[in-house]
Amino acid sequence: MELRICVPLGALLEDSLAAMAAVGLPVDPLRDAGRRLIVDVPGGPTYITTRPSDVPTYVESGAADLGIVGRDVLLERQPDVYELADLGFGGCRMSWCTPDGEDPTAEAVERFGVVRVATKYVNCAERFFEETGRKAEIVKVNGSVELAPLVGLSDGIVDLVATGRTLRENGLVEREEIFTSTARLIANRVSHKMQASVMDDLVRRFEDARA
Amino acid sequence: MTDPVPLPAGVRDVLPVEAAELRALGDALDSAFASFGFREVMTPLIELADVLDRAEEDGVGRAYRLFDDEGRVLVLRPDLTIPIARLVATRMADQPDPVRVSYNARAVRPPAPGKIEGAEQRQAGIELVGMGGADADAEVIAALAAGLAAAGVPDARIAIGSVSLVSAVIAGVGADAPAQRRLWAALRGRSRVDWRAAAADAGGAGEASAVLAELPSLRGGTEVLDRVAAAVPDAADECGRLSEVLRLVGLHGVAPPMVDLGVVRDWAYYSGVVIEAYAAGAMAPIAVGGRYDGLAARFGRPRPAVGVAVALDLLHHAAGRGAEQPDAGIVLVGGCDQFIEDAARLRARGVAVVALPVDAGDAEAVALADGRRFVVRPDGPGWVARDVIGGADIAVADLLEGPWN
Repeated sequence: MELRICVPLGALLEDSLAAMAAVGLPVDPLRDAGRRLIVDVPGGPTYITTRPSDVPTYVESGAADLGIVGRDVLLERQPDVYELADLGFGGCRMSWCTPDGEDPTAEAVERFGVVRVATKYVNCAERFFEETGRKAEIVKVNGSVELAPLVGLSDGIVDLVATGRTLRENGLVEREEIFTSTARLIANRVSHKMQASVMDDLVRRFEDARA
Repeated sequence: MTDPVPLPAGVRDVLPVEAAELRALGDALDSAFASFGFREVMTPLIELADVLDRAEEDGVGRAYRLFDDEGRVLVLRPDLTIPIARLVATRMADQPDPVRVSYNARAVRPPAPGKIEGAEQRQAGIELVGMGGADADAEVIAALAAGLAAAGVPDARIAIGSVSLVSAVIAGVGADAPAQRRLWAALRGRSRVDWRAAAADAGGAGEASAVLAELPSLRGGTEVLDRVAAAVPDAADECGRLSEVLRLVGLHGVAPPMVDLGVVRDWAYYSGVVIEAYAAGAMAPIAVGGRYDGLAARFGRPRPAVGVAVALDLLHHAAGRGAEQPDAGIVLVGGCDQFIEDAARLRARGVAVVALPVDAGDAEAVALADGRRFVVRPDGPGWVARDVIGGADIAVADLLEGPWN
């Protein structure tokens, strides 16, 4: 049976294609896919393209055997999959950011007993504040998170930071780093066993290509 | 549109076709298990929370709880091995070793948000209590293989690992307590990336540290165990034990399972060999189990034990459709008013009879919905049978001699 590989669209796509090409996977048909969501390479793998946050869902359910996904998504979704390799690219960090000037975090805890947090990463944010002994009130937003503290919806945001440019442009400052993230190769629990030799060989090639 | 009638999250109804297929799978497993001498037991759906607390199991946190009329906390069983361990340690305490019991029952766990796994989990399993050796491990694996073969999943694959072997390797390279905790967290989280980072900090040197770094990725046959034993002498006994399990499984006439040292179980009571089985079409392992020597002692009767449970719903996905054949039996027009005696005679002969009133409207629709092939009506002095699949009418002189016998 040929492998079904779930590939994230968006920021990780180009580096994912390069990493797959480097281990000998035929990625040209994927480059030429246009708007097709499934690309079936005759005699080769089937590629499934989705938004990054859906990659673990496809792999966990067995709709895909392998997937490429950022560690941030794994930590947020906690899927039951094997995390086989660190692919190295897509480096970024999850951070707690508040508006420029005096950091309002300590005062929020002291005067109101709670930090108001806007984020797309509800679970990561909740865990981080619990682990650092603070109570957080999490507001889930789906886009333009930077807006929330500027208009008083929250004290700050928990979000991914790559270059920091968006933060600076919106007058936000990184206050605390929560974790760093890179792209990971993940596998379905059953595929990892049913196709053991194919998977082990592929993981070895990904590791050799990085070394 | 009718008004929606919702069910609680994570549960569903089972309709006749699925029920028949699930029962056939369960029966196939049960008879394979019975051929090894496993006898079925049943435990209550609810247990006192104290029973599950005794297992000291973090996973029990996810369970439905309620109160009885004296304010005691009750738990809908989220697992079947713990109640069976209680049953064997108490009700069967005087039973001579070894005790072989089987079960076909449901565990209930609140569904995790965003997961496909249902709240009710149908499991058919076995527990072999009172034998601590590789022979018992091998028997359970052989019984599992026999059960999966009987259930019609020929491409199923069994993998075994060992939590005691992993412990021996971790201790053998001299990892301290915090490093050990990191390694176990990485292993349970199925993260090879976290494991390697933790292994790099755990110490050890040369081949021993190389083996530690790769441990959860090591898989294959006995050569894997030989390599670990050579690199980490403290783990040699555990490796020898697992090799012996493989040898004995072979004597049972079963294809050797794959050794996969990355296989671990989420429940902490496992203490030795761990077992998983997989099949194409099932998103998660179709069977899980292993050795849990410490559990019975928590119920006052220490005895080693090993067992495995097949997840029937996942097995069902892997097994595909049963053979396409209409059920035996007929739809008899008039069988519940004018021809009750004829219906009774047929049933006594072993023919299933779906009885309809003599003025039944669309008997063919009932036959198709129920999966019966023939609709039989009175026709002069005899009968006519309509084959609802082939569409032909067959004249039948005597009901007892119809084509359905």
